[in-house]
Amino acid sequence: MKVRFWGVRGSFATPGPHFLRYGGNTPAVEIASDSGRRVLIDLGTGATELGKQLMTEEFAEGKGSLPILLTHTHLDHLQGLPFFTPFFIKGNQIQILGAAPSGTPLADVLQNQLNGHYSPLYGLENLAAGVRVDAVGPGSSLPVEGFEVQSAVLPHGGMAVLGFRITADGKSIAYLSDVEYPLGEPTAEALALARGADLLIHDAMFSDAEYESRAGWGHSAVSSAIAVAERAGVGQLALFHHSPDSTDAEIDSIVADARRRTSIPLFAAAETSPQEV
Amino acid sequence: MQVTFWGVRGSYPVPGPDTVRYGGHTSCVEVRSDEGACLILDAGTGLRALGQRLAEEQGTSPSWQYHVILSHVHWDHIQGLPFFQPAYMPGTRIAIYALRAAADELHKVIGGITRHEFFPVPLEAVPADFEFHEVTPGKGFAIPPDFEIAPVALNHPFGAVGYRVRCDGTSLAYISDTAPFDRVLHKQHFLASPEEPSEEDRRVLDAMRADLVSALRGTDTVIFDTHFLPEEFEKFPHWGHSTPDHALDLMTGIGVRRLVLYHHAPSHSDKVMDSIEDTYRRKGNERGVQVVVARERMSLQIGQVTDPGVGP
Repeated sequence: MKVRFWGVRGSFATPGPHFLRYGGNTPAVEIASDSGRRVLIDLGTGATELGKQLMTEEFAEGKGSLPILLTHTHLDHLQGLPFFTPFFIKGNQIQILGAAPSGTPLADVLQNQLNGHYSPLYGLENLAAGVRVDAVGPGSSLPVEGFEVQSAVLPHGGMAVLGFRITADGKSIAYLSDVEYPLGEPTAEALALARGADLLIHDAMFSDAEYESRAGWGHSAVSSAIAVAERAGVGQLALFHHSPDSTDAEIDSIVADARRRTSIPLFAAAETSPQEV
Repeated sequence: MQVTFWGVRGSYPVPGPDTVRYGGHTSCVEVRSDEGACLILDAGTGLRALGQRLAEEQGTSPSWQYHVILSHVHWDHIQGLPFFQPAYMPGTRIAIYALRAAADELHKVIGGITRHEFFPVPLEAVPADFEFHEVTPGKGFAIPPDFEIAPVALNHPFGAVGYRVRCDGTSLAYISDTAPFDRVLHKQHFLASPEEPSEEDRRVLDAMRADLVSALRGTDTVIFDTHFLPEEFEKFPHWGHSTPDHALDLMTGIGVRRLVLYHHAPSHSDKVMDSIEDTYRRKGNERGVQVVVARERMSLQIGQVTDPGVGP
């Protein structure tokens, strides 16, 4: 199984010379099984780059099929949707799976993102590809071909998001982005999703020092990511959802500091080539 | 008057090594009068960095008022708004000017981008006080103490407005986003492909073009949506954007000193932008218009040399 980070930045895309090594696109992570099946998690601006890649393959002829998992619909996880080129090719089959935030059906949220005020697409019905939107309940096993996918609800400030555990080829990746544990205590659901995963991708938006003034914003300090990694006994930890104010040099120092504090192998997610898990 | 570009990109922000020199943030331009009064044109992702700068300038002073003029509310022109730091400073007042393109009221449309599904802090919970002003094409208004604004209708899906800004005896025009005025008349429905204009549509387009030309006449500097290269435009003439050639055609012979190419396509790398600059500087020279390509953080003095409005 391979993972590729197309977008690693939280909240806000960060173009510019200080964000080149880790990357400035908002969340989008592709997971591919050895048999060539794919699943995409989140539709931040990183998805536009994946879209370009897919258009060099069967998606250009309308023969592609892709499941997309949404943790939630805050804009940084959704802003790539209107620019994800495979949506514009008739024949592609794209399935979007996510939670319905506080009672608004997921399809309505996406529809609202594309309404005429905000987008020249005027609505989901104008995406030429076959698009299916399925709201999924927490704790369920999701129907994603070629993978075993478990979801669980995680606390994110005033709302709840979905975390995912994705298994294929005997390997597991846990994706816990946009999470802040009340009183810093990882929830049982988070630990269960991450338990023994080969790779844990975890929100680590803030250094512990930065976190002090940002408690309640719905994001984790590096120490929370480390706590989940250690208690769940994961193989490797990827710090994810970097703050838009963290330059490459600052992320380097966050990583160096984190490595001194745990024996779990860890790195900061970066927009680079696919990595074997 | 001076302008500074904080976001020059169209559609969506493009980080990465290919956009370092021209910039990857979406539409946002800061205008300053000689006295220092500030006007913000569009609120794309460039607004975040501008807001950080303005918050520093504001310091702890509670009584600042900002004026944000929107061309339209497509995401690439508004998504910086929830990240505008002064909005989180109590006492700050923010006036937003925009076209009311449909029955929905402006505060609902703009508040809609921070619905809980999209953003954790709803507009009502933001500490700053917001006021909303509806803009009508053809109906000028003043933003005291320094600015006189003339809105003009543009040809873009769901409707957009360009603005001529007069200040300090000179003028600037901000024309983004617009398609040219011959191929398609943009209305309020989805276009999967170009729709042939009717006779009536052509009359509307001709009138829009004439109004725009008259707004641009004698303007020192025009910032214009030149998203596409000609070959790209031919593939997507119904997407609501222009080429630098369309811009030059509109403003040749009407006393415009300088054209600023703006709203660059996200696919245009720095290298492509270099070649666009070469090509259109030359074409501009042939037409007597100085062509400049907008880059993030670039500042331009307006009305510096030959503006007829500057005098003793």
